Amino acid sequence: MTTTTIKAPMPGVFYRRPDPDDPVFVEEGDHVEEGDVIGVVGVMKSFQDIKSDASGTVSKILVENEAAIEAGDDLVELELD
Amino acid sequence: MTARIERKESLSPRYEYGGDDYVFVELDQEMSFDANFEAMAITQQIRERDLPGIIEICPANASYMIHFDPDVLAPTDLVDELKQLEQETDLSEYQWDTRIIDFPVLYDDPWTHETLMQFRENHQDPDATDLEYSARINGFDSADEFIDAHAGAPHMVTMVGFVPGLPWCFQMVPREEQIEVPKYLQPRTDTPSRAVGFGGAFTAIYPVQGAGGYQLFGRTPLEVLDVDQQLPSFKDSMVFPKPGDILNFRRIDREEYDAIREEIEDGTYEYTIEAVEFSPEEFFENPHEYNAQLVEVLD
Amino acid sequence: MIKVLEAGLSTTIQDAGRYGHYHIGMPPSGAMDQFAHTVANYLVGNDKGAATVEMTYQGSDFKFTEDTVIAITGAEMAPELNGEPVSMWETLAVSDGDVLSLQFATNGARTYLAVAGGIDVTPVMESRSTYTLVGIGGYDGRTLEDGDTLTIGDAGADRSSLVGNSVADEHIPNYDDEDHIRIVLGLCDYRLTDESKEELCDAEWTVTPEADRVGYRLEGPEIEFKPREQPFGAGTDPSNVVDLGYPVGSIQVPQKPIVLMRDAVTGGGYATVGTVISTDRDLLSQRRTHQPVYFQSVTLEEALAARKARTETLESIRNSLTP
Repeated sequence: MTTTTIKAPMPGVFYRRPDPDDPVFVEEGDHVEEGDVIGVVGVMKSFQDIKSDASGTVSKILVENEAAIEAGDDLVELELD
Repeated sequence: MTARIERKESLSPRYEYGGDDYVFVELDQEMSFDANFEAMAITQQIRERDLPGIIEICPANASYMIHFDPDVLAPTDLVDELKQLEQETDLSEYQWDTRIIDFPVLYDDPWTHETLMQFRENHQDPDATDLEYSARINGFDSADEFIDAHAGAPHMVTMVGFVPGLPWCFQMVPREEQIEVPKYLQPRTDTPSRAVGFGGAFTAIYPVQGAGGYQLFGRTPLEVLDVDQQLPSFKDSMVFPKPGDILNFRRIDREEYDAIREEIEDGTYEYTIEAVEFSPEEFFENPHEYNAQLVEVLD
Repeated sequence: MIKVLEAGLSTTIQDAGRYGHYHIGMPPSGAMDQFAHTVANYLVGNDKGAATVEMTYQGSDFKFTEDTVIAITGAEMAPELNGEPVSMWETLAVSDGDVLSLQFATNGARTYLAVAGGIDVTPVMESRSTYTLVGIGGYDGRTLEDGDTLTIGDAGADRSSLVGNSVADEHIPNYDDEDHIRIVLGLCDYRLTDESKEELCDAEWTVTPEADRVGYRLEGPEIEFKPREQPFGAGTDPSNVVDLGYPVGSIQVPQKPIVLMRDAVTGGGYATVGTVISTDRDLLSQRRTHQPVYFQSVTLEEALAARKARTETLESIRNSLTP
């Protein structure tokens, strides 16, 4: 099985949900298409969607909700289709 | 009634360096006409001297600030110059050319009312409106009387800033007649553009929609910021108010508000502006009479 | 022309700044790191006032539609020209059709792209700097978007002979090591308790994710104020003063400190307690969210010496370039 890791394209705070009361964007085991939003990063008073750059199944979520992240940090591991 | 403006015995300015390229001068820790007029007088004179190396000259309510290039103008020389100006300036003999402007306000308007009702949990008095609360803590019997007081004497623009075009306005009455209202306990996340707000001892006009913590009294149909400079009164600058301007807030009704808005949106409205020479001395002596003379020129 | 293929997170056109309007609430804007901006301009033969592209945290991808000369300075963004790595702090030749792509910032936060002749946008109040709050300057007063097209100013002469010039290693900042930011204490620091004044300089502060071109909000210990009787016209909060002007670089303390940057709010009612010196405003703007900052109190003389040293460095860089 080939895996890929979605990395943070910017530093900030990683959120797994669009809003505190909303469900998470993705759980382990979910299938995502290329371009699907897997989380958002809050930085400079705005929120940036983090999109999957491939289609596959989420095998590991590598950061906690509201974690402080650096650009380049591993966020989500995917098993490619 | 012969109310006078109580003069400050003396100011004791503090000269402070802001890094290597700013001088900040706090004329007084509290607001007074003496402190503000001193800030006006010194900044106007330093502007006239046109010293090489000066980048920004910013009068504020009870202080002023200069941004300069220390490679051209030594910081200590600048402070010496400012101290000398301070020594030489006698407000009794100082006058300046300024403008008096008719500033219509729709008090208790529907837009700021809707906003303030959304943020009652941020307020000192959730069961009253901002006007009712301000009237009560300033000893007025009704919001209506309070509005009459706010619109009853002109305001001087004692500072412009925070964002482009926002004027701080200080009412030209003796201290005992000054309105004082605290800001919201927690700032709002929203305020309509052109809202007329009040915080501390100052009226502010919000140039654009945004966060804010001032008590909301009304909305003016006039713009204070016109980025595209479409309106004739913004020909020279995208910001309308200038420090030292005198604004005469005039209570208007919805009909007049709508009529003015229409002209503003057409880009045809011309602000009513008259040139006046302001004399601190005459103002200090008999503010009410002096204000009446000032306002007369608008008729 | 330069076509913006991917704009990145927050990319704007900036120059040396817009001056003379602070008293009506207009901040200078301009490149947050004036040192990197100036060096980039020098490398391509421009005056320091020419407009450059400022990229924050995330680089952009550009396609050039003419031959020209460029330089990239500031935070490391692993630039590639047509897929091949190219150096930063060096004069580079680009040809019609070339694609320049930059990644995210790894050492520093902001990167500058200068092009011979400068980025040509219409000046507003004599500056090409973008001030997004009211939407003036730069490219339509906003951050760049995918598909925008930038016009290159007239360089006057062929600048290709500058290609290959580079900045000596000793003059290239290592931004991630620059955690000490020098300040001149003062302004309204009389509002702080002696302990808080000391703590301001002793504590480790952390850049928060909100930090932007308006201000750098920092996280750290609680600041405490001296008790007082509220002066007439000041707000009721212990941090309030009668509204006053804020220097760019000043540290205001609505509890946690905020250092005002080049898109500053120009004044307000929070006590200011010191000012980051002009040279170190550049360095602070290269700190990334979550990185530590330590304030170091210096005298006016030390601040002026730092400024002089920086001017000499810039002159030395300019003189080292072979035309």
